[in-house]
Amino acid sequence: MTNQLNQLLKVAASLTGVVVVWWAVAISGLINPLLFPTPYTVLIAAKELYEDGILISDLGISLARASIGFVIGAILGISVGILTARTRFFAIALGPFLNLLRPIPAIALVPIAIVWFGIGEGSKYFVIAYTVFLAVWLNTHHGTAHVAQTYIRAARSLGASRLREFFEVIIPAAAPHIVVGLRLGAALAFLSLVAAELSGASAGIGFRLQDARDYIRTDRMFVGLIELGILGALLDQFFVYVGNKLVHWEQL
Amino acid sequence: MDNRTDSAAPSGRVDIENLAISFELPGGDTLEAVSDVDIVLEAGSFTALIGPSGCGKSTILNAVAGFVPISGGQIKIDNEPVSGINPEVGVVFQQYALFPWFTAIGNVEFALKRLQLPRAERRERALAALREVGLEDRASTYPGQLSGGMKQRVALARTFASEPKVLLMDEPFGALDAQTRIAMHELLLGVWDLHRTTVLFVTHDVDEALLLSDRAHIMSTGPGRIIESLEVTSSRPRKVDEMTEEFLTNRNKIMKLLRHHTVAES
Ligand SMILES: Nc1ncnc2c1ncn2[C@@H]1O[C@H](COP(=O)(O)OP(=O)(O)O)[C@@H](O)[C@H]1O
Ligand SMILES: [Mg+2]
Repeated sequence: MTNQLNQLLKVAASLTGVVVVWWAVAISGLINPLLFPTPYTVLIAAKELYEDGILISDLGISLARASIGFVIGAILGISVGILTARTRFFAIALGPFLNLLRPIPAIALVPIAIVWFGIGEGSKYFVIAYTVFLAVWLNTHHGTAHVAQTYIRAARSLGASRLREFFEVIIPAAAPHIVVGLRLGAALAFLSLVAAELSGASAGIGFRLQDARDYIRTDRMFVGLIELGILGALLDQFFVYVGNKLVHWEQL
Repeated sequence: MDNRTDSAAPSGRVDIENLAISFELPGGDTLEAVSDVDIVLEAGSFTALIGPSGCGKSTILNAVAGFVPISGGQIKIDNEPVSGINPEVGVVFQQYALFPWFTAIGNVEFALKRLQLPRAERRERALAALREVGLEDRASTYPGQLSGGMKQRVALARTFASEPKVLLMDEPFGALDAQTRIAMHELLLGVWDLHRTTVLFVTHDVDEALLLSDRAHIMSTGPGRIIESLEVTSSRPRKVDEMTEEFLTNRNKIMKLLRHHTVAES
C-alpha cells in the first residue's frame, strides 16, 4: 500500500517537474509561442475540444478502432502461434513467411490497406490487426514452442492425454509469454492506429493531429499527443494488472 | 488407498539387460553414454544408482521412464518391453517439475485424473496423498509459496497418488540442504513403506544411497557402466550418526572405487 503510494508520488513529482520545465521554456521567449504552446494554452485547447464534443468522440472512435483491430490481431496471433509452435506442418508452411513479414512496419501497409479495404474502418482494422498479430504470434509461438521438457515429461508420465497436456500444461506454461505478447500488441495497436488515422480518416486522435497541422494549431497537437500518452500508459497498466492476475505464478 | 498395502502379488519388477544408449551429437558424431548395463530391480525393492556426474545415471533412468530411446539391449517392466512413457512408471525430478499454475492439491489431482474418479473422490484421495507427506494444510498453496523440501513432498505425493508400479527418482533431494534431506529420507521411507513401489534412486551421495537402498550399483564414466554392485542388509531406519559395521565397510568400498576411477580418468 505505502509502496503504491510511494510510486504514485514519484510519478506525480516527475510529471510536475516536466510541466514546470515545459512552462519555463515556453514563456522564456526563446521559442515562438505558435510553435511551442504553454501548458495553459494546451489546457484551454483541450477544454475547447471537450466542449465541442470532439475530444470524447475522437477518443471513442480511436479506442474502438484500436480495440477491434487488437482483438482480431490477438485472436489470430494466439491461434497461429500455437499452430506454428506445435505442428510441423504449420511451422514449415507459415514460419518463414511470417518471419519475412516481421520487418514490414505498419505504416508501409497503409497505402495497400486503403486500396484493399477503402478509406473506411476496414483499412484501419487491417493495419492495426496486422501489427498486433505479428507481436502476439511471435510471443505465443516462442512460449508455446519452448515449454520446459520436464513439464511435458512429468505430464506424460502422470498419464495425461495429449488433450490434457495441451490445456493443462502447454497453454499455462506459455501463458506468461502470450500475456507479454498481448501487452506489446496493445502498445503497437496505438502506434499503428495513429499511422492509419494520419492518412484517410475523418475523425480520431490521429486525424485530429493531422487536421491541427493544417491550421498550425500546435496546442491541439499537444492535446492529441498527451491523450495518446495517457491512454497508452493506462492501457499498459491495465495489461500488467490483468496479466498478473491471469498468470499469478509469474511476476510480469 | 489402504487396500494396496495388503495386495499380495507384488509387481513392478524391472529387468535392464545389456543396455546401451547413445546420443547423436550436433556435429554428426555419436556419444556412447551408457553401455553393457545390467540391473534387476526386484518388485518392491529399493535400488540406488551411484556415480560421478556425467556417468549416465540420468540417462539410464530416462530410458526406464521411456523419455529417451535405447540403442541396444532391452528394458522390461514385468516382462513387457518399455516402449515409451508409461503412467505405471512414476518419476520424481530434481527440479520438482510441479506445475506452478496449479495448487499443491491441483498438482496431485492432475495425477489422479487418469483414473477418472468422481470429483469428490479424486479430491479426497489427493488430500490423503498430501496427508501422507504431511502437507494436508498446504493443499491450496501454490508451489511458488512452498520451500524446496515442501515442493519435493508435493511431488512425492503427486507421484505416489497415481500409484505407479515403479518409481524413478533422479537426485530428488540434490537441491536441498542437509537437514531437510535427512527429514526427506525419513519421509520417503515412510511413504514408500505404505506403497512398496519398486524404487530406482539416482544419487551421487554415497551416504544417501546406503541409508535408503537395499541394493546399490556404482557406476563409472566413459561410457557409463556399472563397476560394482552391493547389498545393504541392515534394517531400516538407518542413521548416519549410528553407523553400523556394514555401513562403514560399504562406504569405504564405494569411496575407494569412486576415487580410484575418478583419479584414473582425470
Ligand atoms: N540429450 C543428450 N544429448 C547428448 N548427450 C547427452 C544427452 N543427455 C546426456 N548426454 C550425455 O550423456 C552423458 C551422461 O549424462 P547423464 O546421464 O546426464 O549423467 P549423470 O546423470 O550421471 O550426471 C553425459 O556425457 C552427457 O553429456
Ligand atoms: Mg543426472
